Amino acid sequence: MMKEVSFKIDGRDCKAEKGQNLVEAAKQNGIFIPTLCYFKHLNPLGSCRVCTVKQNGRTIAGCTVSIDEGMDIEVNTPELLDARKAILEMMFVEGNHFCPSCEKSGDCQMQNLGYETGIRYTRFPHLFVDRIVDARPERIVVNQNRCIKCKRCIEEVVTNDGYKVFNFTNRGNETLVSVDYEQEAKLSESQAEHAMQICPTGSILVKGKTFGKPFGNRQFDYAHEGQNIPLTDIKKHKTTNQKKKRVATTSLAGCFGCHMSLLDIDLGILDVIELIEFNKSPLTDIKKFTERCDIGLIEGGCCNTDNIEVLREFRKNCDILVSVGECAIWGGLPAIRNTVPLEECLREAYLDSLTSEEGETVIPNHEDIPKILNKVYSNHEVVKIDYHIPGCPPNANHIWNVVKNILFEEEYSISYPEFKYD
Amino acid sequence: MSKRKIVIEPVTRVEGHGKVTIKMNENGKVDDAFLHIVEFRGFEKFIQGHPYWEAPVLVQRLCGICPVSHHIAAAKAIDQLVGVDPENLSPTATKLRKLLHYGQVFQSHSLHFFYLASPDILFGINAPAEKRNIVAVAESNQELAKKGILMRKFGQEIIKALAGKKIHGILAVPGGVHKTFTKEEREYFLDGKQIPNVDTMIEWSREIIDFMKTYHTDNAEWIDNFAKYPSNHLGLVDKENGALELYDGRLRSVDSIGNELLNIEDIEYRYHFKEAVEPWSYLKFPYMTKYGRENGWNRVGPLARMNTCSHVSTPLAETERQIFKAYTQNKPNNMTMHTHWARLIEMLHCAELMKELLLDNELLGNDLVREGTPRNKGIGIIEAPRGTLIHEYHTDDKGLITKCNLIVSTTHNNEAMNRGVRAVAQEVLNEKPEITEPMLNQVEMAIRAYDPCLSCATHALGQMPLIVELEDSNGNLIDEKVR
Repeated sequence: MMKEVSFKIDGRDCKAEKGQNLVEAAKQNGIFIPTLCYFKHLNPLGSCRVCTVKQNGRTIAGCTVSIDEGMDIEVNTPELLDARKAILEMMFVEGNHFCPSCEKSGDCQMQNLGYETGIRYTRFPHLFVDRIVDARPERIVVNQNRCIKCKRCIEEVVTNDGYKVFNFTNRGNETLVSVDYEQEAKLSESQAEHAMQICPTGSILVKGKTFGKPFGNRQFDYAHEGQNIPLTDIKKHKTTNQKKKRVATTSLAGCFGCHMSLLDIDLGILDVIELIEFNKSPLTDIKKFTERCDIGLIEGGCCNTDNIEVLREFRKNCDILVSVGECAIWGGLPAIRNTVPLEECLREAYLDSLTSEEGETVIPNHEDIPKILNKVYSNHEVVKIDYHIPGCPPNANHIWNVVKNILFEEEYSISYPEFKYD
Repeated sequence: MSKRKIVIEPVTRVEGHGKVTIKMNENGKVDDAFLHIVEFRGFEKFIQGHPYWEAPVLVQRLCGICPVSHHIAAAKAIDQLVGVDPENLSPTATKLRKLLHYGQVFQSHSLHFFYLASPDILFGINAPAEKRNIVAVAESNQELAKKGILMRKFGQEIIKALAGKKIHGILAVPGGVHKTFTKEEREYFLDGKQIPNVDTMIEWSREIIDFMKTYHTDNAEWIDNFAKYPSNHLGLVDKENGALELYDGRLRSVDSIGNELLNIEDIEYRYHFKEAVEPWSYLKFPYMTKYGRENGWNRVGPLARMNTCSHVSTPLAETERQIFKAYTQNKPNNMTMHTHWARLIEMLHCAELMKELLLDNELLGNDLVREGTPRNKGIGIIEAPRGTLIHEYHTDDKGLITKCNLIVSTTHNNEAMNRGVRAVAQEVLNEKPEITEPMLNQVEMAIRAYDPCLSCATHALGQMPLIVELEDSNGNLIDEKVR
């Protein structure tokens, strides 16, 4: 029989068995500590740090703490909540976590943790790395761009003979989780699928087993249904127009899907236009701001000089500027080109395509067309953005709830199933 | 009068980023006019190195208006990479994909007609700019606006039922689909309890066509002649009987008087098409190699499809097609504004096709995915709402994409839109003492008729303000008008 000990979490008295893992002990006492690399039956790895807490005033990975008598643990202080969010944001920017086109989207633990911590945008710029997508193994594909080096697969995936399939290679920030091809070939189909499942991101995929689950059937599609996303930084804003509010919209380097989602409230649009009027917008023929607008909705990021100009014009003419959708927030799918030099993209499209004319030498370049930027920028890298609405595209309710909150100070809430990155 | 350059920017109520420049000489005549497509994305390059199965999910993000078209075109190509040709797909998978596609064409055509084009038609080309939008339509004719909204919604709901969400969902996987369609899901579209049912969609589609025909009778002079010019027409037709085909068929092109220029297996496209590049637009100019850059370009989309097909397979739409064709004595119709009319006939056709499929029990089957011997090349060609859409992918032996070629509908229409802009600019602006805003809107209308999706086209999308700059012959700005 283990000895029961007393300790404190955020000043609250808690009890647990001596030596018990803090994450588990906290859970028993009704306190949630987010984790990612932590895996119950493995020795705590402490590699991802999203469980960061303070023990007796010292910052430490919560999953590595064993409970002892009289411990004083801090978990949900504003400082720690933000620190954990920042750590997770760093993971998002460190690799290419492009949820809209990722096979693991909806089944991804890291993505779900993003929802749980309410990440709408990252405070750090994305790195857009160009690492190997290794399709050489027999059954699996390893996409190094999505690996967070949590070490789960290394510890957990072994052949029937007890050999490891994954291992670290290189060191420091060059570290990769590499595959032992010989051992990998011995994995059964179900062992391979297990590897895909325990990977907390979309790094390990099984060939022929991707995109198998329809929307709604994926693990986290309806997680926390009935609960609302804790968005703490919604503030009351002062807007210009008192009666009918003015809204402007634009699509920069976006696909118009966010504008389409805006229309997906269907007949609701007839009610909305009683309360607001559209100014400059591709839905109207108003091409230049005629009056100051209360809110500007920006779809798409900045991929050319025109986008930058339009975005600045919106900032100048709108009280509140909202980035709508993944492209506006971090560049989105067009930003995948940030992993490739621009010259190569242009060459492929205009000179080397399968239907190019023989000996083609022209790449568009003219005074009447804007210059393409070296990379696709998120809007908050260019101007100040007041709100971010994630999704590809964001759910129609999500967009309108934010707009109504900003314009009419209606109570703002967004349910978990409506808060998505894909 | 001095030389000047007029800029219309952005072109609005089209799905994309476009800009028009019109160069006028000292005599007040239009020297030249261009539609510039101002965005570039580079999908062809950055998709390289990704596993092939990502293509239908990734590439549909080219366009949020017709993502399903890209999803399906890519899926048809990806099927071949796992060794499955269109005819070897399971009947259930084919039908589910078709239903998804028809739902998409239906919603996209509704969107275009009601949200984007109807203001020009309802209020006339001389209406003030503030009035030319869906909000004004809703205020002046709420019934029409409601129907438009509910028709688009019907298409979107079909998409949601099959692909999980209305925009950027997923249905197709290599060799088939990943989801069955249940009786309950089907009932939603048939019983009319929660949304108007498919019969209502057919009925409303017919009403809208009648509305259009009346409008045409009253305004024939203008509709028949506005931005009209002869061109070739390209579209998919049924492999067996030449009927209008949206999902899988042969590529057929006819010239402006009906001579057949091309009739090929779709996967042969690469031997018959080239794309030219101009320095002043990010959008390329495709043409049929045999006929050259000057004569080999095509129009695509609803009007072109009416001109390339022999008939339409559903009865009500076929009756309407015959009325449409009779107007030009069964010859190809080159009247640009008739594209709106043709689009509505297709809307009716899609409503009828959706009904046919919804009543087909094979739709509810569970034979979803087929497999074959993997290959390294796949080509998927469909008729998207705006016209012929071509996707081609090559992979290495491990399934990573090594090459990708995309020719999207609006790209085919690039030459046609540029000619339309030039023709209208000359017609309405030449030697006019004053350039007015409605004149410039007419230039835009020549573009809007094609419902161009410039997002797809540049493998991007968006919008921009209208500025008219008057410059003297030295290029100094002497006057500026903003609307």
